[in-house]
Amino acid sequence: MNEQALITDAQNGSLDAFNTLVLHYQDSVFNTALRILGDGDMAADATQDAFISAFKSIATFRGGSFKAWLMRTVTNACYDELRRQKRRPTTPLEPDTDDGEEMDSPRWLADPNMTPDQKAEADEVEHAIQHCLDNLPLEFKTVVVMADIQGMDYSEVAMSIRVPLGTIKSRLARARLRLRECLQGFEELLPASYRLEEGMNVS
Amino acid sequence: MNQRDLELLSSYLDGQLSPSDSARLESRLKADAQLAAVLNDLRATRTLLRKLPARRAPRNFTLTRKMVGQNPPLPRAYPFFRFASALATLLFVFSFGLNSVSRMTAPVFGMGGGGGDASSEQSIELYAEEAPAAATEPPAATEAPAEPAVGMAPAPTMTAPAQEDALRMVETPTLPAADMGNAVAQKLVEAPLVSITWQIVLGAAAALSALLMLLMRGIAASRWR
Repeated sequence: MNEQALITDAQNGSLDAFNTLVLHYQDSVFNTALRILGDGDMAADATQDAFISAFKSIATFRGGSFKAWLMRTVTNACYDELRRQKRRPTTPLEPDTDDGEEMDSPRWLADPNMTPDQKAEADEVEHAIQHCLDNLPLEFKTVVVMADIQGMDYSEVAMSIRVPLGTIKSRLARARLRLRECLQGFEELLPASYRLEEGMNVS
Repeated sequence: MNQRDLELLSSYLDGQLSPSDSARLESRLKADAQLAAVLNDLRATRTLLRKLPARRAPRNFTLTRKMVGQNPPLPRAYPFFRFASALATLLFVFSFGLNSVSRMTAPVFGMGGGGGDASSEQSIELYAEEAPAAATEPPAATEAPAEPAVGMAPAPTMTAPAQEDALRMVETPTLPAADMGNAVAQKLVEAPLVSITWQIVLGAAAALSALLMLLMRGIAASRWR
């Protein structure tokens, strides 16, 4: 995939070129939204909004990391989604198929490579991590999701959320510390190699 | 451990420290077991987060043209027809407005004539009524022949032509005024500022252009699909 050529075509109005980029980045974008929002349906809405918004404003992309630019769009969509959710709390619906019917077995729940026990264990660990992420302040959560879950470097994160590099370092350190403290409460769920040491305080 | 050390450890973990800062921290880590334990915890936390399973997108988030409000590419002639339709419609409405306004404002110019509706006819009547009054002034002289006619009652033969003359003199000036008023009124009623023919032409042009625009849009949309 020639990303730069696709971006140029998309900037010239080619929806097909943009959709190729969508297919390439949709898992990352969806995962970022999922970890920030903690809800699959809200994450799907935010992802769709982010891509629509990205297409409409792709002319403003002036080079650099396209992923970082896209992450900024999805972060904004997540903040909008959270604000909307605060104003109008609603019961989320199952995602619809193209025919408008409810999808009763979403694909993201299926992972054919795991045994039921492994899956149950992984689900528990994942649930514990998501619980700890949900308890983080939004600005810490955004940084830790981008840096540690999406594997973006500091400069990309700084570009995505438009804060200085020093702030990224500080937020990430504090977010990791808070997560560590929270995960100590789920010690029995964690694999032995990841068990954490207790009794350390940071002032 | 303070906040500064925490940030140093976190940055060290990500390889974000300069070589000299890294060396300094590594020597401290050898000497300080608590610092090393915090580093291990931060590393374990980061590893857990990195191992968090990446979920597949529940569906494809590709965009449709409808989602982004994109319209089908239209033929090059489309803007011309859009302009023509707008112009013809504007002129069509303007012609109606112009004709209506000219009728409504007719009383303002009424003394000079103009207009063809009831109000303008009234003005024409006023004009016609005033005309004889003005015209009868000069015939004040006509009273002179009339008085002797009364005084000379025993000579009716002489009064008859005199009265006829007087009447003729009184009536004579009124005839051109009335004719002129009627003619002007007639002319204004029969000839609006913009003729019906032009209005029909403009209306037809507007409708035809709009129809062609719709046709082009329809064809473009069906080809696009």
